[in-house]
Amino acid sequence: MAELSLKNVVKRFGNFEIIRDASLEVSDGEFVVFVGPSGCGKSTLLRMIAGLEDITGGEIWIGGAVVNDVEPADRGIAMVFQSYALYPHMTVEQNLGFGLRMTGNPKADTERRIRRAAEILQITELLDRRPRQLSGGQRQRVAIGRAIVREPRVFLFDEPLSNLDAELRVQMRVEISRLHKELGTTMIYVTHDQTEAMTLADKIVVLRGGNIEQIGAPLDLYDDPANQFVAGFVGSPKMNFMAARIIGKTPDSVTVSLVNQDAVQLTLPVRDVPAIGEMVTLGVRPEHFAEAGQGDADLAVKVDVAEHLGNTSYIYANVADGEQLVIEREESRNEINRDKFVVAIKSSRAYLFDGAGKRLK
Amino acid sequence: MQSRNRIAYAFLAPYLLIFTAFWLWPIIDSFLLSFQNTRVNPWTFSPGLNWGRLSRDPAFYNALKNTLLILVVQVPVMITLATIMAVLLNSPLLKARGLFRFAFFAPVVVGEVAYAAVFRLMFNLNFGIINKLLNTVGIPSVSWFAEKPPAMALLIIAVTWRWAGYNAIIILAGLQSIPNDVYEAATLDRVSKIRQFFFITLPLLRPIILFCMVLSIIGSMQLFTEPFLITDRGGPGGGTETLGLFLYRQGFVSLNFGYASAIAYTIAALAVLISLLNLWLGREPK
Ligand SMILES: Nc1ncnc2c1ncn2[C@@H]1O[C@H](COP(=O)(O)OP(=O)(O)O)[C@@H](O)[C@H]1O
Ligand SMILES: [Mg+2]
Repeated sequence: MAELSLKNVVKRFGNFEIIRDASLEVSDGEFVVFVGPSGCGKSTLLRMIAGLEDITGGEIWIGGAVVNDVEPADRGIAMVFQSYALYPHMTVEQNLGFGLRMTGNPKADTERRIRRAAEILQITELLDRRPRQLSGGQRQRVAIGRAIVREPRVFLFDEPLSNLDAELRVQMRVEISRLHKELGTTMIYVTHDQTEAMTLADKIVVLRGGNIEQIGAPLDLYDDPANQFVAGFVGSPKMNFMAARIIGKTPDSVTVSLVNQDAVQLTLPVRDVPAIGEMVTLGVRPEHFAEAGQGDADLAVKVDVAEHLGNTSYIYANVADGEQLVIEREESRNEINRDKFVVAIKSSRAYLFDGAGKRLK
Repeated sequence: MQSRNRIAYAFLAPYLLIFTAFWLWPIIDSFLLSFQNTRVNPWTFSPGLNWGRLSRDPAFYNALKNTLLILVVQVPVMITLATIMAVLLNSPLLKARGLFRFAFFAPVVVGEVAYAAVFRLMFNLNFGIINKLLNTVGIPSVSWFAEKPPAMALLIIAVTWRWAGYNAIIILAGLQSIPNDVYEAATLDRVSKIRQFFFITLPLLRPIILFCMVLSIIGSMQLFTEPFLITDRGGPGGGTETLGLFLYRQGFVSLNFGYASAIAYTIAALAVLISLLNLWLGREPK
């Protein structure tokens, strides 16, 4: 077990800066998720922590020591690869024990660790099989088992569930969560799936194009996104964005007009705003629209498509030539089978972003 | 459907005819020939003659012994070399990879006669470069063509030179099919590079290496060009006569086709047998 920190970490491949000045503190036992779109540098950052990629600049600390020049094997980490990376010619038992046996760990201890890992992951009856005789989910368990056997200070997971089908993914997600509770070890988990991030993490690190956009607890990111990217990335379906122009301001409020939505006007409690006439973006989550008349501005929309999921419905709607909006409604189904209806925006549940995507508060 | 099938066979007919006439028929005919006395005119059916002679012929046993000796020494040496070459070719540290790959493969493309001539010159007793090099490190000249042990060594060196690169390229393809993350996992498992080679790379290359060995066994069983051209028809005095050469002498020098057919079938059967033995020894542990 160990805490971990990144101090101004930089990674360049040739002239390409893949990770820019990443700093992060992970406390002992914390479950941290790196999330971001494909190609944003999540795997690279994880592999730098593992020691599989060298560090162009900055420092990585594990357990109170700089590990920049420490061999991967000596960093006390274990990694679960997206492709599982099992040894194809070895049985499950041999896969689990290979590292320990190669390094002369006492036999009895090796066997104890294998048994324990197999029990935790419920793969005891698979120990004699080879990887090709296992399903995707079983392979994933073996890969995790191989990490557990090492009894590492830090677990690293690189998109471990992305090759599984939806149902299995949910099941394994729950198991990884349980595993974290059981072992209490520091875990760093990479995914591009915001649901995985929200459900697993103590702390989420949102990455985009090699930059850390925001670090925070899942609900803090949901409630208080630092910028338009994070606001759009966290939450599903994603936040609606509408173009708006500033038409008035007081010391502690601002009034905007939704240019594509019939010039509906809304006043928000925001202080730090650009000049009147500037374009900004208003963000409202699908689940935050209110009944007509119960918010601060009403919006009449035309229903395009309605998706009924049973417990809730998503309405894809638009105004003349405005942005398409997604509106979540839990009420009766017939009511939303109309062509038109009116929803309200609450200023307390709306976000404002400037032209560069920065959140205005 | 019926007429479509007929048309298909009509298109296949020219190939099937040629296949039957020049491939299938010779195989059957030579089998029948091995039971005939071809030293009398007309040939007569004499089932025990050729096979009986083969089982007693000291020249056959000499050729068999030479061939097996070459096989047992040359195949393992060459496959080991080829594996090392493949690993070096696969190394990320290597520059100009394409050039090396071409250089290793080139011996296969070089004409046999040209290569044999060059080897004869290089190993010449008085002015060959090999003896000159040996002399500079204090080893006296070896008369490569006049005594049996050096002549056998020369054959093994020549065959290895010619085919090691070819096998290395095949093994390289196998190496490249092993995913890199398996090695990364092993690195994180604290397994050293050397152990990774012996416990991951080699076991995963097993099928490829077995394939190369079978190819090489078949090649050795038929070895002909090198003993014919380099050690001058199996010299000195039959010291490097191989089964391939023995077959050639019976068939094309003595024109004893019945006996040659029996030898040919023996060579093929031995090649199959040894290859099967090799596959069985190298089978995946259960
Ligand atoms: N070895 C490498 N050489 C050059 N560029 C690389 C290398 N590895 C990754 N990259 C680049 O770095 C970026 C981030 O990659 P990666 O960390 O794998 O993204 P993610 O895991 O977030 O999808 C990508 O643009 C990728 O093309
Ligand atoms: Mg990745």
